[in-house]
Amino acid sequence: MFKKLMMLSVVFMLLLSACAPATTAAPPPATQAPATEAPATVAPTEAPTEAPATAAPTEAPATEAPSGEVIKATPGKELNMVFLPKFLGNAVFDLAHAGALAAAEELQNSAELQFLAPATGGAGTDQIPIITNATTQGVDAIMLSNNAGDQVGPAVQAARDAGVTVVTWDSNIPSAQGEQLFVAQVDFDTLGQVMADMALDILGADGGKFAVLSAGPDSSNQNAWIASLKEVLKDAKYSKLELLDVVYGNDETEKSTQEAQALLDKYPDMKLIMAPTTVGVAAAAKVVQDDNLCDTVKVSGLGLPAEMVTFVKNDCAPEIALWNFKDLGYTTYYAAYLIASGALEPAEGVQFEAGHMGTLTIEKDATRPDAEGALRVVMGPATVWNKDNIDEGVDAFK
Amino acid sequence: MLRSLERLKSWEGVLLLLLIAIVIFNSSMTPHYLQFQNQINLFELHIEKIIIVLIMTFIIINGEIDLSVASVMALAGCVMGYLFEKGVPFGWCVFAGLFTGVLTGAFNGFMVAYGKMTSLIVTLSGLIGFRGLAHVLLENRSVGNFPDWFDRLGQKPMVGPFPLAVIIFFVLLIIALIILQRSGGGRYVFVIGNNSEVARYSGVNVRRVKMILFIVSGLISAFAGLLLAARLGSIRGDTAIGTELEVITMVLLGGVSIFGGTGSLYGVLLSILIILNLRNGMGLLNVPGENQTGVIGALLILSVLVPNIGRGIWEVWNQRRVQRIRVGEEEKGG
Repeated sequence: MFKKLMMLSVVFMLLLSACAPATTAAPPPATQAPATEAPATVAPTEAPTEAPATAAPTEAPATEAPSGEVIKATPGKELNMVFLPKFLGNAVFDLAHAGALAAAEELQNSAELQFLAPATGGAGTDQIPIITNATTQGVDAIMLSNNAGDQVGPAVQAARDAGVTVVTWDSNIPSAQGEQLFVAQVDFDTLGQVMADMALDILGADGGKFAVLSAGPDSSNQNAWIASLKEVLKDAKYSKLELLDVVYGNDETEKSTQEAQALLDKYPDMKLIMAPTTVGVAAAAKVVQDDNLCDTVKVSGLGLPAEMVTFVKNDCAPEIALWNFKDLGYTTYYAAYLIASGALEPAEGVQFEAGHMGTLTIEKDATRPDAEGALRVVMGPATVWNKDNIDEGVDAFK
Repeated sequence: MLRSLERLKSWEGVLLLLLIAIVIFNSSMTPHYLQFQNQINLFELHIEKIIIVLIMTFIIINGEIDLSVASVMALAGCVMGYLFEKGVPFGWCVFAGLFTGVLTGAFNGFMVAYGKMTSLIVTLSGLIGFRGLAHVLLENRSVGNFPDWFDRLGQKPMVGPFPLAVIIFFVLLIIALIILQRSGGGRYVFVIGNNSEVARYSGVNVRRVKMILFIVSGLISAFAGLLLAARLGSIRGDTAIGTELEVITMVLLGGVSIFGGTGSLYGVLLSILIILNLRNGMGLLNVPGENQTGVIGALLILSVLVPNIGRGIWEVWNQRRVQRIRVGEEEKGG
């Protein structure tokens, strides 16, 4: 009888988990929070394409006289393109999608842009079936924000072998296997500088101990930024800053909250949590605020102004930084469109025009010295938001 | 006995109809579905899971369960990756990975067969413990850059257009079919699942059968873990997380009773095909990830509900008919 009951409970467990979006039995609703917390501020997809002037914080780089020929896009080509972020239900990816849609409209691509991604909380490798299926469908281009480290490489290579253009954005493939171009939101090396500067700014000249709350352990962008942060910390200027620990919240609100809480318990003398992820920084700020610790422990990192505005104003997270995700999606779409239509052959030094982002130059990706032939194009610097300019930030991301 | 056999037959019939419906739907909705390469992709994307489904069918029919399979996959891969990182010749790394599976299986089997513990609890602790060990070995790193021949095993077609893993699956399927449905050993598996006491008194070595099943389960899970590492080109501590539930789902949808004793590999094979084709079709039709898992969940619930409701209606209708006949006879008689 006992055995039967046990077995029945297993069946019940199975049924429940089969219904959950995650492959693990993690409770799904909490992970959806970031998207629902700020519904009003998530960019409307109908955003007028003339508006990007408001996206000023990212000054269009490299507008000075280009040396060679600048490749321009011919609008009106019909190209089937897939926009594939890390997962669904994250406000920044919705912003990037809006940017890609704006570019699609400018380029008058008559084929509908597909927005596909694994469910929130799934394994990073859940992106692989989507890439394989897109290859089977014979799409022209895939725009990928990679969430599976090098594990996605073989599937991407197979896509390339079948003639599909693959451009990564936001998060690249560390080995660059199959990847034609990486659209970097910001120069990865400067981001460590930005984070270290914010930390020093918040903590003052005396510095202090701090910890990093990252996204998934395999997200290559976060890992690169943390590496650059560690590099910058070696400078004498930052000698008072001591990095205690790096923990991973997997870009899930619940896991990030737990990890932030654990940091507070583990390191009573910690003065700052640095979270280079929008989900993590919001979760950490919430934890610190709820524990009434804002006077002793500060939060900083990469955050969406709309999600962070209250924490910035009540001094729990005095400074945050971010770039414009809409521009990132927009630039990525231009690059993928140019490559897929055959106009652009990515190579070092080649320049192309990406709508209102101006002229961009393809360069060797110095952040991935081990990856052979890794190319990137950098969109622009990050903007630091504080009490004085956060309202502008909220507007800029609308 | 006869009745349960009949029910089983009809359950497989239902599965077959469902499969045919899915295939027709898929091929009419998207032209890519019937492409040869897609049919191979459909297996390859889930190949590690369906290899484990074969041995899980044995274990559940035997009245036990193995929840640790996915953690063993990760642990075996991590043992291999860890040694490879340390500079051990790669052949030994692969061997050590497979041997890890044998050890974990022997541990599970020993606890269940000789320690008289419920397999649910033993393998649940395995699910947590083996995964933990995998994380201890590789922490948050991923290990890749395995020798070319190993990556090729998982990533490139081997014989004609077929990747090695797909060929292995079909070979294992035939072996499993012969053992479970045709051999004496297979009959032992069923008998023990029905009533292990009776089996023991009839001279079946229950402990040995259970021990062997768990060791094979460990070995096959480890093998699947290495196949996954070959397909993805690298291994991490959280590889294959949650796979055990998908595996058990396929077995149960195939008509195998969770209490043991009944079921067949034919039903399980149909259920594998149903889930793979369904997932593939939804993927090609760009159904969002959340909805895909929702559909699979609904299918599992329906697969439990529909036969029960169907039988209920049939019984009510039957009773009424009997009553009507009786009333009619009484009227005639009166």
